[in-house]
Amino acid sequence: MVEAYAGLVVDLVAAFATFYLVAVGQSIVEKSGVLNLAIDGVFFLATGAAVYGAVSGLLGFKGPLVGTLVAGVIALIFGLFFNWITTVLPLSQGALGLSLMFVGYGLGIIIGYPARMKVGNLADYAYPADTTTALATLLAVVAFGVAAYFMLERTSLGAAIRACGENPHAAASMGVDIVKTRLIAGALGFLLIGIGSSFFPLMWLRGWDVKSYVLGYGWVAYTIALAAGRHILLLIPFSLVIGGLFRESVRLQAVLGIPVDLSKAVPYIAALIAMVFYSMTKLKKTLMPPSSLGKPFYREERTI
Amino acid sequence: MASIKGLQSSTESDQQPIGDNTSTPVVSLKRITKTFPGGIVALDNVSLEVYRGEIVALLGENGAGKSTLVKIVYGVYTPDKGRVYVDGKPVFFKNPRDAIRKGIVMVSQVPQLIERLTVAENFLLSLESVGLASPFTLTSRISKFIERESEKYGIPVNPEAKVWSLTYTQKQMAEILRAIVIGARVLILDEALTYLPVIERRKFTKFLLEFKSHGGTVILITHKIPEALESSDRIVVLRRGKIVATLGKEEADAETIRRHMFGEESKRLTEALPRSKPGKRKIIVVERLRVLDDYGREAVRGVSLSVFRGEVVGIAGIVGNGQSELVEAIAGLRRAVDGRIVIDDVDVTNKGAKAVRSIGVGIIPDHPLRLGVSADNTIVENIAALFSKQLVIDWTEMRRLAGHVIKKLNVKASSEDDPVKTLSGGNIMKIIIGRELLYAKKALVAYNPTRALDEVSAAAVRGAIKSRAINEGLAVLFASEDLDEVLELSDRVYVINTGQLYGPFDLDTTSRDEIEKYMVM
Amino acid sequence: MIAGILFYATILALMGRNPVEVIYALARSFVSPGIVKDFLILSMLGYALYVSFKGALFNIGGEGQFYIAAIGVIAITLSLMPWSPGQSTAKTILVIVLAVFVATLLGGLWGLLAGVFRGYAGIDEVPVTLLLNYVAYYTVDYLVYSIFRGRHTYGYIRTDEIPEAYRLNYYLPPRTSSGEGLLGSLSSLAYQFLREFALYYAWVIGLAVVALVVYFVMYRTRLGLLIRIHGSNSDYLRAIGVDVCRVAVATLALSGSLVGFTASLYVLGYLGRLPYPVEESTANYGYIAILVAWLAVLEYKLIPLAAYIVAALRDAGINLQVAQLGGTEQTFISIGLLLTVFTVVKVFTEYRIEVRHSG
Repeated sequence: MVEAYAGLVVDLVAAFATFYLVAVGQSIVEKSGVLNLAIDGVFFLATGAAVYGAVSGLLGFKGPLVGTLVAGVIALIFGLFFNWITTVLPLSQGALGLSLMFVGYGLGIIIGYPARMKVGNLADYAYPADTTTALATLLAVVAFGVAAYFMLERTSLGAAIRACGENPHAAASMGVDIVKTRLIAGALGFLLIGIGSSFFPLMWLRGWDVKSYVLGYGWVAYTIALAAGRHILLLIPFSLVIGGLFRESVRLQAVLGIPVDLSKAVPYIAALIAMVFYSMTKLKKTLMPPSSLGKPFYREERTI
Repeated sequence: MASIKGLQSSTESDQQPIGDNTSTPVVSLKRITKTFPGGIVALDNVSLEVYRGEIVALLGENGAGKSTLVKIVYGVYTPDKGRVYVDGKPVFFKNPRDAIRKGIVMVSQVPQLIERLTVAENFLLSLESVGLASPFTLTSRISKFIERESEKYGIPVNPEAKVWSLTYTQKQMAEILRAIVIGARVLILDEALTYLPVIERRKFTKFLLEFKSHGGTVILITHKIPEALESSDRIVVLRRGKIVATLGKEEADAETIRRHMFGEESKRLTEALPRSKPGKRKIIVVERLRVLDDYGREAVRGVSLSVFRGEVVGIAGIVGNGQSELVEAIAGLRRAVDGRIVIDDVDVTNKGAKAVRSIGVGIIPDHPLRLGVSADNTIVENIAALFSKQLVIDWTEMRRLAGHVIKKLNVKASSEDDPVKTLSGGNIMKIIIGRELLYAKKALVAYNPTRALDEVSAAAVRGAIKSRAINEGLAVLFASEDLDEVLELSDRVYVINTGQLYGPFDLDTTSRDEIEKYMVM
Repeated sequence: MIAGILFYATILALMGRNPVEVIYALARSFVSPGIVKDFLILSMLGYALYVSFKGALFNIGGEGQFYIAAIGVIAITLSLMPWSPGQSTAKTILVIVLAVFVATLLGGLWGLLAGVFRGYAGIDEVPVTLLLNYVAYYTVDYLVYSIFRGRHTYGYIRTDEIPEAYRLNYYLPPRTSSGEGLLGSLSSLAYQFLREFALYYAWVIGLAVVALVVYFVMYRTRLGLLIRIHGSNSDYLRAIGVDVCRVAVATLALSGSLVGFTASLYVLGYLGRLPYPVEESTANYGYIAILVAWLAVLEYKLIPLAAYIVAALRDAGINLQVAQLGGTEQTFISIGLLLTVFTVVKVFTEYRIEVRHSG
């Protein structure tokens, strides 16, 4: 009985840690006004990077922590490029994101596949599946989240990031350096996306397959971020519930008595309902997307 | 007052006038000339000196050059000729940030605050840009600081409130306090208080005097004479890019100022178009209408009016007094919070533009590029969207209509398939006017119907509108910032000021002076 | 385009691969008969998404609309009107027509649903259509697992095969003798293309239908005009008294129904059954078509060209695998980089105009 619960905790923490960190990262990026539709590609790229880091003995270091670090750094570089180019050029952020999503899939295979082939069982390089690791991860992840929330909501930097997402022109006139601020948001957000993604092969699946790009778990994180209105603290219950629903869809169908496939659709329907709910209540003001999300940062001058 | 890190301008090269602190103006402008593309001279050799501890009002009509003048001081524009001096030293501002670092801060009519941030967070961003905060400064610390400053200057501001939850007055209070907190010595108010109700505005007057007593300087831009008289020590009147009068507090009275503002213009006789004979039936009826603007201010405050069949009713007023919102509400493009709009005996209040359009109402809106055309689409497509009602569009017929509009209004376009965005502003306006005149069967509701047109075209448009009213019984309601246009075209005139309607005035018995008085009071 | 290829070659060289070989393999795909199938499907879907993109509605829900429609085909052909030996030709035709019709309707409804969220609840269509993709996947999975589970599937969970009578393919015999030299191989290649087109003859007709419908709706009807204006300035629509919400709903419904139409032809002309779970074996056409519409710069005439390029690049992935030069990753990277570079370069051509504007 105790083991069963311990197993549940380990499973849940893995799903939670993955989704929460990726969703927090995504929220930080989007709060700065950059629409990130490359999320699923970056997610897969980071899982490939995590596998590479964990097994290939980079500078003599191996293991899950190295994997997480490499995933974070690779995602961060990706994010710096993405946030930079979408801010300095008036291009379609949505289109660029989707294009780069494919690049992410490709690079993920290139980085991860040879490394994966080198070792027999990836579980040997993954985080230990015990309650101590799970609880430590839970604490660390929540601490990260709270720190991100504090930075975003209580500091000058956080105000600047949100200002860039709301009204970059007004922010610029107040003296905010839009490019610099979005670069910081991109670095930080994508770092978290990378770290979170690394938990997917190294803690959740404890394995990795070239074909896992089709799973669209990056899109799930994107959905969670949207459903919780990009609110860093609200993301905790959302990630837990939706992550849990994913991880435990078999158990869920037993409890609810609905078919397993329909229970898989529940998180998505829940997210849709959550969004409709916000749009109709007072929460709309707090949780609605940043006003300038996805809009190029340049001004049309023409008037009559 | 918060201190500012001194930053010297890097372009000090000329000889500097030397003088002691008391007699050196804080800001002085020497022989400033500014011309805009298209050859419009906004400022013509203007010189002005503003001293420490005084409140100077810049008065003038729309287009007199007062906004351009302060935007030069604030680093938004650079002058073509002339120089700006701060504390007697020449400065060259590349952007407002340079001006802010010299202690010059502008607050404009539209609050430049970020809606979803708190007041404290907005302050923090500005403080960081002048080096008074770091990226890791906590908002809680700033809140306390704001509370202290708020008490010191007697400006009530709640630092924890989200900006979107504030009223317009509260936002402007926050703007002004922010200006002080980031170290303003010279506060430029570009119509920042002009559209506040008088009672609200008086709260600011008290504070401005307080600021002045601390050695602050205020440059107040307005076209409302009472506002200028309320608090200023000196009134500078601009007309057509030139300073035409500088009046001390004692010598200034409303009548003198008005004469200077409008100059000989006001004496110019306008050739009114022939009057139409209004019918018996009321086509447009507006009752106690109240409408909010984009910032939640009450822009239209209980307006009632009516337009008879075949009658042209003009609404005079200076821009921003609610006429744009009034026209939008009647056109079904803006919600009324109270009151009633009836067109051709149909109650169309808050029924949307579709209800209004289906009666046969032509609309020439404010914001023509947003509400008047779809710029990426062609001329004929813009016309077909309004005229074609069947499932399948009869493009031959639509081409005919487009050709008609192009010919009738002499639009400079190579064909009706030109995308609208390739046309000049004046030609886009002609497309809108032509299309709406063609569409209007019962009524025409218009805002600045001849904007961006040259004099000849504008006169032709006014003639066309009038003849539709006289010959076909079209009921026309229009608002215009151009008083001459109102006097020329209207059968009956109202004046709108701060959302309230005055009149109607009979043009046979009312002088132009009287109408102007209502516009600027 | 050229910039994209050069950039890609550089990346390959950095990866230690011979760019010439890889690019040769890529280039070969552009004349490979294997791309006909993808070309036809992607052209149809490209037009379907063109409709919504023209209205500035970013329908990324093609995947969901595709499979929800596909399940309609399964329902009609296997469950509601199953084939019985010796049934009349008239009935066969009726079933096929009905299957196509139902699929079109279902795709349209799935699009309409997204449109309602967008139009009336004001939620951005990107997350809505994306979420609905997953709802569609799992709904289809559920149906395949339960009521449409096949009995003749060798133990696999999937639907039965759609009967041959309902399949829309025409097989040309392979040509036995081909001439000598360049001319011979060219004529042989042409014949292979012809065989592919014959095999998917229904899609050729389908593409013609979709292209004509899209052209007619977008450029001859009031709805099409309103959609195009919605894409440029929806405030203008409001000002002339158009219900903007309804335009959004109609746009997404139309786009979805064209996706549904395409899906029905895909199932009847190629797939023949639905797998389980569907999200793990999808060809991702719904997503790839986004790239087609985008690559065509939303120009009506360029959709087939864009579909051809994307189809060739997809095929190249397989070619490369055979040549042991890589695999799926090359497809992803080449498509991704091409589009990335395209997106960025496009800005520079537009930006010049903007600068002149403000000048």
